[in-house]
Amino acid sequence: MFAVTTLVAVSFSIGSFRIGDAEKPFLYSVLLWIILVFSALSGLSRSFVKEEEAGTIDVLKLSARPQAVFLGKLFFNLTLLGALELIIVPLFILLMNYKIASPGLFAAMIISGGFGLGAGTTIVAAMIAQASARGALFSVLSFPLLLPLMITAIKGCERATDGMNTAGWPEVRIAVAYTIIMIIMSLFLFPLIWEE
Amino acid sequence: MISKLLLTLWMTAMIVAAFLYAGAATGFPGQTSRILFFHVPQAWIATLSFLLSMIASCMYLAKRSVKADHLALSAAELGLLFCILATATGSIFAKATWGSFWNWDPRETSIVILLMIYGAYFALRSAVPDPEKRRVFAAVYSILAFVTVPFLVFVVPRITASLHPEDTMNPAKPGMDPKTLKVFLGSLLAYTGLFVWMLRLKIRLLRVEGMREPEFVDTAMGQEEKLGPPSE
Repeated sequence: MFAVTTLVAVSFSIGSFRIGDAEKPFLYSVLLWIILVFSALSGLSRSFVKEEEAGTIDVLKLSARPQAVFLGKLFFNLTLLGALELIIVPLFILLMNYKIASPGLFAAMIISGGFGLGAGTTIVAAMIAQASARGALFSVLSFPLLLPLMITAIKGCERATDGMNTAGWPEVRIAVAYTIIMIIMSLFLFPLIWEE
Repeated sequence: MISKLLLTLWMTAMIVAAFLYAGAATGFPGQTSRILFFHVPQAWIATLSFLLSMIASCMYLAKRSVKADHLALSAAELGLLFCILATATGSIFAKATWGSFWNWDPRETSIVILLMIYGAYFALRSAVPDPEKRRVFAAVYSILAFVTVPFLVFVVPRITASLHPEDTMNPAKPGMDPKTLKVFLGSLLAYTGLFVWMLRLKIRLLRVEGMREPEFVDTAMGQEEKLGPPSE
């Protein structure tokens, strides 16, 4: 809901005719990723807080291995992100009259960027569930970790929009590498947080 | 005592030498290139302490010794201080040479992210009440943040061209004036000495604070509170 509200606000205040054609690829990819990242941040912080609030976290600690819990939460977050992107991206394209020169790269960038978002934030969500001032802390902690991914994803979408220099998809590869590194590091570090 | 005195003398000598002994590099307006002797060592210390904090965090997770955590925290605090200094001096240099205090140069982007990481690190530390948990979380976050830094170093510069003077002022490349190089290396040494001294002070301070408030008091009090209600 937050995502749709932001999208409508952006679309309403900017419209599709106020921006010159030359600036569209860059500005549209920036706007799209700002909407995606901030709506993801508002939703993903809940994944471990829910367990803490419902009091089910202790049972979970007893019954499952930490890696299994982490992967479960990761898949849940990725599903959530997938659903979010499925709603936001087509709406954004429709509302902003967004023309994409190379749809394949665009789709790959959105998907790999989504994976990166999920991989980078799941472990932070596990940490803030045990801290005070959760909502604000989640954004503060996640943002520095996500910034390299965000810059890459914006660049990738810009490239896909104007259709120039698309050979090799370097941004997609960077996002995939980021995802893999974050998941591996999280698998190492998550048990330490979980068993505290 | 002797080392402190020596450090003071060395630092003073370097400041004097930075203005009187070394010449101003060509290609920069006026005397602006002299910032090299202050800004680069500050940035170096900010990066070094970030690395040190990460290594100490790994040590803490492996051995769970409070000493390692003290080292990680002290390094992070000093790193934040030097990071702010480097940002401020760099910004002044940017105004003098490029015409604006801030223009999202790749170097500026990466130092802002470093600042944000340090900020987040302290926000996390202050938000976790349990001391043991706080140490583990801070260590985990420190390692996670360090992992993302290579992306920033290799990815961001690829996307936009940097205005940061690299070729003209990089001591690893030939073309730097020998006098400048001498003062630069001396200044680097002085800053590193200052950093080590401040780090040791900070660690001693943390240790003294730890002695004043032993942690078992915290947990014992917590247990008493928990045990309280049923008996009443």
